Amino acid sequence: METWRLLSFQRLSGAENMAVDEAIFRETATRGGEPTLRLYGWIRPTVTVGYSQDLEEDVNRAFCEERGIDIVRRPTGGKAVYHSTDLTYSLASSQHRFPFSADILGTYRVIGRCLIKGLGKAGISAELVEEGRAPGRCFEEAGCFAVPFRNELLVKGAKICGSAQVRGRDCFLQHGSVLIDFDPVISLQIMGKDGRDEEEAVRRLAGAVTCVSRETSVPVTAERLVPYLGSGFEELLNIRLLKGDLTGRERALAERLITEKYGNRRWNERGRL
Amino acid sequence: MSTYPDDLLYSRDHTWARVDDTVVTIGITDFAQENLGDIISVDLYTVDSAVKQGEPFGLIESSKATVELIAPVSGDIIAVNEDLFDDVGVLECDVYDAGWMIAVAIDRVDELDDLLDPDDYEEYVDQVQGRR
Repeated sequence: METWRLLSFQRLSGAENMAVDEAIFRETATRGGEPTLRLYGWIRPTVTVGYSQDLEEDVNRAFCEERGIDIVRRPTGGKAVYHSTDLTYSLASSQHRFPFSADILGTYRVIGRCLIKGLGKAGISAELVEEGRAPGRCFEEAGCFAVPFRNELLVKGAKICGSAQVRGRDCFLQHGSVLIDFDPVISLQIMGKDGRDEEEAVRRLAGAVTCVSRETSVPVTAERLVPYLGSGFEELLNIRLLKGDLTGRERALAERLITEKYGNRRWNERGRL
Repeated sequence: MSTYPDDLLYSRDHTWARVDDTVVTIGITDFAQENLGDIISVDLYTVDSAVKQGEPFGLIESSKATVELIAPVSGDIIAVNEDLFDDVGVLECDVYDAGWMIAVAIDRVDELDDLLDPDDYEEYVDQVQGRR
C-alpha cells in the first residue's frame, strides 16, 4: 500500500501557514518524494488573498486592522478567504504520482472526492460542483466562498469548501478550507462592504455558503475533523497516511519564506518582492 | 500531419519555441491554454532577466490554477510581450503569434535538441491525455 506523509495539526499564523505550504511544494518539486497532506488551523483570524488579487480593491484593510485580522497573500490564485476556526488542508505532490496527472480539474476532482468521503464520516453529505456558475459582477465576488466554481464542495447547494491550486514543473500544491463556522456579516465587511447596510447581500451570502457547525448536530472543531478527512483520503485512494515532520530543508525554506515573502509587506500588499 | 504548427519546437512543459538563429521566442501551446481554462493574468520575468531551461520564466493565473511557466531553453530575456498584461484574451485566440510571451538570447544551442518536433509533441500530448 502506498504511503503519504501527514503533518500533525497545528495552528499557525497566516505567514507561517503559507510559508510551510510553499516550502513543501518547492521541496516536492526539487526532491520528489511522497505526497504530503497537511491539515491545519489559524492562530489568529486571517484573510488570505489570491496571488494576483487587488488588495486595495477587494479587502477593507482598515476594518481588518481595527479587528486584528492579519492579511497574507497566497501563492495560489483565486479570491479572498477569511480564516478563523476553519480547517485548512494542503496537498503537495508530483503530478506523476497516482492518482494525479497534469489535468488541473482532474486533480480537483480526486481531492474533492476524498474530502467528501471525509466529511461524510462526520455526518455531512457534500457533493462536488461539476459545472459552477461563472463569476458574476456581484460585489460579493471578491470573496472565495461567494463564488461556487467547478469542483468545489457544496452541501445542499451551499459552498462549504473552496480550493486553489498552484502548479510548478511536474508538481502541484492544492489547498483549501472547510468552514467550521461562517459569519456573512463579517465576511462582507472584510470585502469592504458594510454588511449592516446590505441586508440583501448578507441574505444572499448566508444562502450561498454553509459550514460544518450548521450541518452537524454536535459541535465539531477543526481538530476533531482532522481524522475524518484523513481517513477520507486513505479509504478513497487506498493509501496509508504516516505522521511525519517537516524536513530540515523544508523548515529552513519556510523560515526564509516567512522573512522574505509572506512576512513581507510588499508581497502581501502588491504581490511582488 | 500534426495539428501543431510545423515551424516550432515544443517542450514537455507545454511551451513552444520559435528559433531564429540564437534568439528563441517562447509561448504556451494551445493544449496548455485549454488545460488552464479562462486566463486571468500573466506575470513574466523582465527584460535582462536570466532564465534556465526547466525553470520558471513567469506565472499564469487562470480560473482553475496558478501555473509556473517553464523555460524550454536557457539565456537572457531580450523582449517581453507586454501587450499580454493588458489583454490576456489574446492567449485564447492566438497562442502561437500574438500570444508570444518572451524572446530569449540563448546560451546553448544544444538545448534545442531536448525539444520535440510537432509530431512527437502531439504524441506526448496524447500520452498525457491518456493518463487523465
